[in-house]
Formats: sequence, C-alpha cells, structure tokens
Amino acid sequence: MSSTKSAKSARVFTAIAIPLVSLAAVLLVWDLSVRIFDIAPYVLPSPQRTFTALQDDWDTLSAGVSITSKEFITGFLIGALAGFVFALAMSWSRLVQRLIYPVLITSQAVPIIAVAPALVIWMGFGLAPKLTIVALIVFFPVVVNVLDGLAAVDKDLVALATAMGGTRWRIFRSVTLPATLTPLFSALKMSATFAVTGAVLGEWTASTSGGLGVALLEAQSRLDVASVFAAIVLLVVLGLAAFGVVALVEVILTPWRRSPVAPGWRTHFRNRSLSTPSESAQSRSVAAAEMATP
Amino acid sequence: MSLILSGVSQSFGNVEALAPVDLEVEPGEFVSIVGPSGCGKSTIFNIVSGLLKPTSGSVTLDGNPITGQTGHVGYMLQKDLLLPWRTVLDNIVLGADLRGRATRQERQSAADMAARYGLGDYLNHYPHALSGGMRQRVAVMRTLALDHSVMLLDEPFGALDSHTRLLMQQWLLDVWREQRKTILFVTHDIDEALFLSDRVIVMSPRPGRVQEVVRVDLGRPRDVHLTAEMPYTSLKGHLLDLIYGRAA
Repeated sequence: MSSTKSAKSARVFTAIAIPLVSLAAVLLVWDLSVRIFDIAPYVLPSPQRTFTALQDDWDTLSAGVSITSKEFITGFLIGALAGFVFALAMSWSRLVQRLIYPVLITSQAVPIIAVAPALVIWMGFGLAPKLTIVALIVFFPVVVNVLDGLAAVDKDLVALATAMGGTRWRIFRSVTLPATLTPLFSALKMSATFAVTGAVLGEWTASTSGGLGVALLEAQSRLDVASVFAAIVLLVVLGLAAFGVVALVEVILTPWRRSPVAPGWRTHFRNRSLSTPSESAQSRSVAAAEMATP
Repeated sequence: MSLILSGVSQSFGNVEALAPVDLEVEPGEFVSIVGPSGCGKSTIFNIVSGLLKPTSGSVTLDGNPITGQTGHVGYMLQKDLLLPWRTVLDNIVLGADLRGRATRQERQSAADMAARYGLGDYLNHYPHALSGGMRQRVAVMRTLALDHSVMLLDEPFGALDSHTRLLMQQWLLDVWREQRKTILFVTHDIDEALFLSDRVIVMSPRPGRVQEVVRVDLGRPRDVHLTAEMPYTSLKGHLLDLIYGRAA
C-alpha cells in the first residue's frame, strides 16, 4: 500500500517538476541571450528588468489584472453558456440545426477584430463590447464540440434507453447530457486562453477603463518595453490560471476518465449493508474463473 | 399466460423484411432464434421491445396487448452499452432512473444482485475498469433489475472470447433458473442456441420467416460435456442442414 502511495507521489512530482524545468529553461535562454548578445534593454529587457517593471508598475498592473479578469471571465461564461444552449437546441431539432449551422460557419469566417469597431459603435465604450468579443471567441468551439459530442452518442444506446421505457427528457438527462461533458471541456480548455486574448483585443478597440490591454498600449507609447513585458507576463499568468481552473473543474466533474473507482463523494451508495453473500456457489465459481482469465 | 406474437410482419417501403410470424413463448421458457443475417431476428426483437411498430399483427404479454409499447420487456444487445460515467451500481439501476429516480430499495436490491453474481466488490467501479465478461454481466443485471418477466437478449456474448463465452452461458443458465425469467435469445452460434435453449427457432432470409422450430430435449441442468454426446450432435447436424442445406 505504501509503495503504491510513494509511486503516486513520485508521479505527481514528475508531473509538476518537468514543466517547471522547461519553464526555467525558457527564462534561462532569455536571460543568457540578453547577456551574451548584449541586447539593449529598450529592445529586449532581461527577466530581471521585467520583474522590476512588474514591481514598479504594480498599482496600475494589478488594477489591470482585476479589470481584464472581470472581462474575460464574464465573457467566457456567457460564451460557454450560449454555445452550450445553442448546441442543445440544434441537436434537439434538425430544422434548427439546418437553419443555424451555415450562419455559424459564416460568422466564424468574419474576423472578430474587424467586427470590433462595429461593436463599439453599437454598444459604446463600456463593458458590453469586450464581453461580446470574448463571448464570440468562446462560443464557436463550444458549439462545435458539444454538437459533435451529441452526434457521437450511440444510437443503440438511445434505442436501449427507449426500450427500457425512458421518456425523451429522461433519456436526455441520463444518457445524452453526460456524454457532452468530455467534448465540452476540451472546448473550454482551448477557449480559456483565447478568452484572455479576446479581452485584450476588446480593450484595444474599446478602451476606456484600464485593463492590461490598455496598460500595454500606454507602455508602448512610452517605449517602455520592460513594462510591456511585465503586462505580457501577467497575461500569460491569467491564461495559465484560466486553463488550470477549467482543467481542475474537469478533473472533478469527470472522475471516470482517470480512476477505476468512483470517488467517495460521488457514490450515492455505501457498501454498508449487503444483506447476503452469494447463494449460488456455482455462479460464484464461474465469476471467479472468469476473473482469473486474462 | 405467455408472450404471443400473432401474424407479426414488417415491411420497409416495398421490401418485406419479415413475413407474418406466429410464435408463442411459455413462461420460464428459453427460446433461441438462429439464422443468417437479414432473416429478421433483430426485427422481431425491435417489435417485441416496442421500438418498432409492426406493419401487421400483434404482440401480447400475459394477455395484454403491448404492440408498439416500450417498457414491458427487458432488452440487451451485443454491445454492453454501459454508461462510462456511471458506476457498476448506477448502471444496474439505469432503468429505474429512466422511469424516475432509483429508490434506496432499488439500489439495495441491485447491490444484493451484484453481490450474488460475483460483482459485489465492484459496485463503485467504472465500466472501463472491468473485463469484457464482467461488463456483459453488469449489462445482464441491468436487464434483470427492470424486473420484467421477459428478457430479450440479442447476441449478448457475441463479442466475447470462446472461453469467457462458455462461462457466461453457464452463468446465464444459473441466473435464468434462479430468477425464473422467460428468455428470447438471438445468436449466430448453433452450439450456443442448443446448449441454452428449450426450443430453437430457425429463420431464413428474404423475406425473414420461420423455417422450422426445433425442440431441444436435453434435460437440465446441462453440462458442457453433453455437447460432445449423441442426442446433441444429431440435433446440431439437423440445424446445420436447415441453415446451410443438406450435406451432399
């Protein structure tokens, strides 16, 4: 038992250690290139200068983090929810699917950055255009992946559930809906980092309040490359955090993809009061024989 | 009282898939249907389970008409169709969840059944952690948990290796005897049909129809060794003649 435990902690350690090593290597290459090629700090600041800028501009940047976070998280949730509902509606009716799908594909061919000015004209410089841009970016992968997941549900499974006497709604609840979780989360993981990009894009076209995108533009106008890099570092951290949170929620909601046994909090039934051992010795021996075969 | 099909036929467009079939299955009887692809085996199952409304004819169960109605018989396919996100126990009570919510008592009796049939230690396992034979056993239990008197099993062991399949056949006979179910069983495997059944219905294709009904008087309980002995081998020869034509 303890050996499997230590093997598990060793696995966890390598799972964390290896990415840390590769990140450290990137920092090292960055630092060494600045030193060896003697690059001027106004062209490429060293990691140290970047972190100094991070400290110096902390008041502006931390305010930027909270504003940009608010934009991309809210936009992400709106886009994900809308995408999910659209996918369900489209799977519910073939007519709706035929009507909406071509519009969706076409809309995806329109560059979001080109739509942004129009959004500002319609919605002004407030939160609305930024949320819309983020939501639009998140929306499409969610619709497509969830639709694929719904289409991949085994027709025989639906027939079986029908033969068992399930109504359309109950089959949807117990059979179809849980099947969308895995494709939904692959879309959400992709979208999590795109959402941060979307928020920056939104701030560039409709900037009044000081998010990180605005901080980037201000640092650019001062030719302050160290501050630009400081803002970039924070955007990377936001993107990673967003991805991490989505991945964590996925791990919690889809335990069957990693574990052979359901975690305690998901089992509605504790193996507390099994009333009888096997009455049929023959059945049991058959079971044992079958389990013994590889 | 029993399961009765009278004059049941099925056409898809102009194609007659199933010529009118009359069939009466006694309570507690084990009846197999064998025949080549396209002989209408699965069509009969889809009609009895209520998934398909026959073009003509009717199905009654214990005197009640169930033509075109789902939820009256248990149904199981070659694919185990277990839900990967449900534990063994939650898969067994799927039928109850589809009719509302599984009660504490339904969960308890499902757990008892799993324990009785050798899966008591796997209640909270996910299906992917189980072997093929164990998965099929969970699928059989899911069908049993519906508590219908009639079970339709459509090639349930077709995807298993021959050793596991033999063990599963013996196990199924135990279950059938203990639970006193009526079983209608589709298979491609003549040996499987003979070893399990009281009667074997031989069907032929284009259009699907009943060619002959063969009674299997081999006594019970049955042991694998009887498959090498005389009454069995002559029955098998007869079935082979029916399906593949008389040997030259």
